[in-house]
Amino acid sequence: MDLNSLLKLRHTSNRARRWLGFISLAAGILAWWLIARYGGLPAFILPSPADVWTRFLRALVNGELARHTGATLLEVSLGLFSGAIFATMLGYVLAKSRMLEQILSPYLVASQAVPLVAIAPLLVLWFGPGIFSKILICGLIVFFPVLVNTVVGIRAVPPAYYDLMRSLHASRGQILRYLEIPAALPIFFGGLRIGATLSVIGAVVGELVGANTGLGVLINIGRGTFDTPMVFVAVFTLVALALFLYGLVAWFERRLLNWQEHIHQ
Amino acid sequence: MLKKIVLIMLGLALGLSACGTPKSANGALTKISLPMGYIPNIQFAPFYIAVEKGYLKDAGIEITFDYKFETDGVALVGANNVPFAVVSGEQVPLARAQGLPVVYVAAWYQKYPVAVVSKTSQNIQTPADLKGKKIGLPGLFGANYIGLDALLYSAGLTEKDVTLDSIGFNQVEALAADREQAASVYTANEPVQLKAQGYNINELQVADYVKLASNGIITNEKTIAENPNLVRNFVKAFLHGLSDTIANPDEAYTISIKYVDTLAGADQKVQKEILARSIDEWKTDRLGISDPQAWQNMNDTLLKMGSITKPLDVSKMFTNNFIP
Repeated sequence: MDLNSLLKLRHTSNRARRWLGFISLAAGILAWWLIARYGGLPAFILPSPADVWTRFLRALVNGELARHTGATLLEVSLGLFSGAIFATMLGYVLAKSRMLEQILSPYLVASQAVPLVAIAPLLVLWFGPGIFSKILICGLIVFFPVLVNTVVGIRAVPPAYYDLMRSLHASRGQILRYLEIPAALPIFFGGLRIGATLSVIGAVVGELVGANTGLGVLINIGRGTFDTPMVFVAVFTLVALALFLYGLVAWFERRLLNWQEHIHQ
Repeated sequence: MLKKIVLIMLGLALGLSACGTPKSANGALTKISLPMGYIPNIQFAPFYIAVEKGYLKDAGIEITFDYKFETDGVALVGANNVPFAVVSGEQVPLARAQGLPVVYVAAWYQKYPVAVVSKTSQNIQTPADLKGKKIGLPGLFGANYIGLDALLYSAGLTEKDVTLDSIGFNQVEALAADREQAASVYTANEPVQLKAQGYNINELQVADYVKLASNGIITNEKTIAENPNLVRNFVKAFLHGLSDTIANPDEAYTISIKYVDTLAGADQKVQKEILARSIDEWKTDRLGISDPQAWQNMNDTLLKMGSITKPLDVSKMFTNNFIP
């Protein structure tokens, strides 16, 4: 078998895998429709895909979905950005200082044991019901995975590479730019991908506690009026938002790490 | 079969057990899980009395209090997973508009227990004074929201005339810190706490301006059709507890300590004041009775708010047939 045939086979296999995803999705929707249709359940318990689709269109046309999604997206974007920036900076410092890591570790680990759902009402109380408390909750939830992966990524740089850089009289800035950042990026992006999906949860937790707009508010309104299709619409929009952010991070990852592919080739 | 499996799964997901389903065994007590819509609180004293004095037992009922979200209780009753729930009046039209066959069978509160409070420095003395004010409320749902809108309508105002601020259940703190100019609260709770902390406040009670169907007990059409005696007995036992609580608040308070963990260590003066104010909202010539006009007003308010899109048959929302 020549190289062209191998590449063709790989391409076909990739296409088949993509189809598998669609088939799995279609099967899931079909199963949902069957349960809703023949399970004899009213829409307030389990709305059918058609109910949810109709409600989605209504929310889209009257603008409520765009308004609430926009609010959540803004909170998530700012929370993800600020949380990731702070986590990366602290992560780098911790990676360089074992002593500082030992001092701060108990706090950092303990912070992860605190359920955000429990302290979200307090954060809303302390920082007000506006956007800041939501950004803070997002940032907090993003912080830990990005921090840990930054520390691990920086520490994963082989010591021999540092020796090489020093032998070339590289400055600290050059070591950071040409060695540490490129070497740590793959692991850092792993943390950022997790953070991106978690940030959506963070925003919704804040919105459920107290907010005027956002998909969490839409869920609250849907639950309060027994509009279960609306709850489904909001939940699916959140899933789409998380997938979008995950995809965006993955896209950046591919763009920034394409040098790895060249090396492997 | 499919329906059965799904219902079982949903029941498990909602944290239910078989004890929530009404059963009539020979001579055995019917075990009922009762969604309360709030955390354990002195305001639930009539229910605690009905248990402790054996009124429910005499009615053939063994009860477990289930302190979950009000809307979950309504959904469970609507799906016939539990026979009763304690809910606020607006829940009934909202639920029926979405096809939940719930029916209100006993009025507990005769006055809608929501008020808008503000520091006296804000000089808010009538609903019309709310114009242009920033008003905090837990969220755009539930009794606080509906009561506030009803109050605004009574003065010819709408939501557009004020700024609504969803702040969660932080009304006391928000008012104390002057983050909000007014807040929508439960009449028996936050005003008492604010006064106890030394704040001078003005209160606009919704019930003084419009009569709305308030908190009470709901069941579903199936239970009424198939087990009317269960409904009758439950309502009778509850009303007995309600009557005793009104007659002897001190005794009710002492009994409630067993059910409300925080009560023993709480400020007794404040808690007794909460109970006294609640009792004031329960009192009527005939306990448990529903006023049809209050249901019509609720229907009209929800329509005006856009929470329901078409008028509902008010006569199907409630019944007074089970009131002794």
